[in-house]
Order: sequence, then C-alpha cells, then structure tokens
Amino acid sequence: MIRNRFVLLLFRIVVGGLFVYAGVLKIADPIGFAQDIEDYRLVPRAVAFFTALVLPWLETLAGAALVAGLFKRPSAGLIALMLAGFIVLVAVTMLRGLDVDCGCFGALSRKAGWALLLEDALMLFMAVQLAFSRPDRLPPS
Amino acid sequence: MFLTKRTVREAALIVGVSAVLGLAVRAPLVVRYLRGDFKGGFLAAGTFPGVIQISLAEAEDLFARGRGLFVDARPFEEFRAGHIAGAKNVPFATVDERALAALMTAIGPDRELVVYCSGGDCLSSLGLARLLTGRGLKEIRVFPGGWEEWTAAGLPGEAGE
Repeated sequence: MIRNRFVLLLFRIVVGGLFVYAGVLKIADPIGFAQDIEDYRLVPRAVAFFTALVLPWLETLAGAALVAGLFKRPSAGLIALMLAGFIVLVAVTMLRGLDVDCGCFGALSRKAGWALLLEDALMLFMAVQLAFSRPDRLPPS
Repeated sequence: MFLTKRTVREAALIVGVSAVLGLAVRAPLVVRYLRGDFKGGFLAAGTFPGVIQISLAEAEDLFARGRGLFVDARPFEEFRAGHIAGAKNVPFATVDERALAALMTAIGPDRELVVYCSGGDCLSSLGLARLLTGRGLKEIRVFPGGWEEWTAAGLPGEAGE
C-alpha cells in the first residue's frame, strides 16, 4: 500500500477528476449513453435506460467527493467497484469480438479495446490504494 | 478495516443521492420511457432525427445511380482489404473533427451519404452517423448490411486505398 500523502493526493485528483469529466459528459446526453449501454447487448433496455440516468451522477458525485476530500474511502470504494465492472465489461466485449464504442466519455468515446482496459486497470490500482491505504501522518513541525 | 459500517453507510448515501438526482433531473425522460417512447430503441426515438437505416436494395439503387457517397467506417486495414467501389474510408475508431469536416466538404449537393461497416454485428457505422448529425445534413443513411451483405450479393467492390 502506498502511504505517501502527496502521492495519494495526486491519485485522488487524477481519478476523481477523470470521473467528474466522464460523468458530466454523460449527464449531458442520457439517450446517447443509453444507446451506448444497449450496444454492448448485455442488459435489457430498461436496465440500460436507468443505468444511463443514474451511473453518470454516481461517477460525478463520487469523483467530486474524492477530489474534495469528502467521504474519501466510500467514494474511492465505489469508484473501484465501477472500474472493476468496466474492466469485466470491456474484457467480455473483446472476447465476444464486438465492435462497440465504449461509451466512457460520451460522444468522445473510443472503441472498447486494450488501451481502454489498461487505463481502467491503472485507475483501479489508484482507487484501491485510496480505499485501503492509511496515509502517513504529517511530520510534526 | 475498510468495510466499516460507516463506510458502507456513506457509500449507500452517495448511491442514493445519485439515483434521486439522476431520475429527478431527467424526469421528463422517465415519463417518456414509462409511456413507451423508447420501445423501438433509443436512437430510433427521434433523438437523432436525420439518421435512417436503408436496405441492400436502396443502397444498390443509390450506388447504381451514382447518387450515394459511400463512407466506410471500418479501420483502414479492413478497408484496404476490400470495400464498396468508390467508398471513402473514415474509420470510426480514430475519427476526429478534421476527418468529419473533410467528409462534410466531400459531399456534393446531389449526393446522399451512406455509412456502412462490416455488417452483422458492427456498430461503427451508426456511431459515425451519430457524430455527423447536427451538421446540416438532412438525412444520413446507414446501411446496416454493410460490406458482408454487399459482397454476398456480388456487388462491385475494390481493394486498396
């Protein structure tokens, strides 16, 4: 576990910031995102619809909380769970050989592929550190 | 310990607030959903009005009359291996604003845009069509049968760039 306060702060800003960015883009276009989810052809339309409405807010709120330093552990935990889910989703999609737009950043999304998997894994590593690590205390001044 | 009661409670709070906000902010959409507006699919529900799907016969007709500008949304390698004769390659996976702008200028006044990909399960043609909406085109045609249906029907293709 990484315990360095500054490294952990950097992780919070990177992961939290990316989640806010991804969330806000999708809040702006719920129907487009619902279609993106449906394109994965894994869940029924009702699930795709309600996920498209709620998930972007969850990303945004958890990301914002992480950056702001509020509810750090629960928000890092939620983000780690989401990332684990995305990784499974992308891996399954690649195994099925589907040509799918990942839907991660609204209309700016790329195809679900190796690069995406790697990015998600890197963010998952950071989120897990944030959820579990106990930062060093500041040295007494 | 990570999973304290407090952590779980706070996580549940974040999830709950997200759910309430998500549904409340888009309440009109929820109403439309419950009314069954999206039964035919999300895209088909008038969100991307200009996008229409065409059959092989319609694609062939536009091709024969020279009225269609065919756009291949597949990656370059697949395009080079074989594509509809005269088609222009705009790979959806790497498309950027410049490529979209170049495509918009390539469409003459009398030509219809027909976007396709490999066919069957492929979705990049629909993705590209969505990116092209809102740029002043009245209609954007998507040919879902794609390259597979085109070659299976023995219609003219070509290889190379």
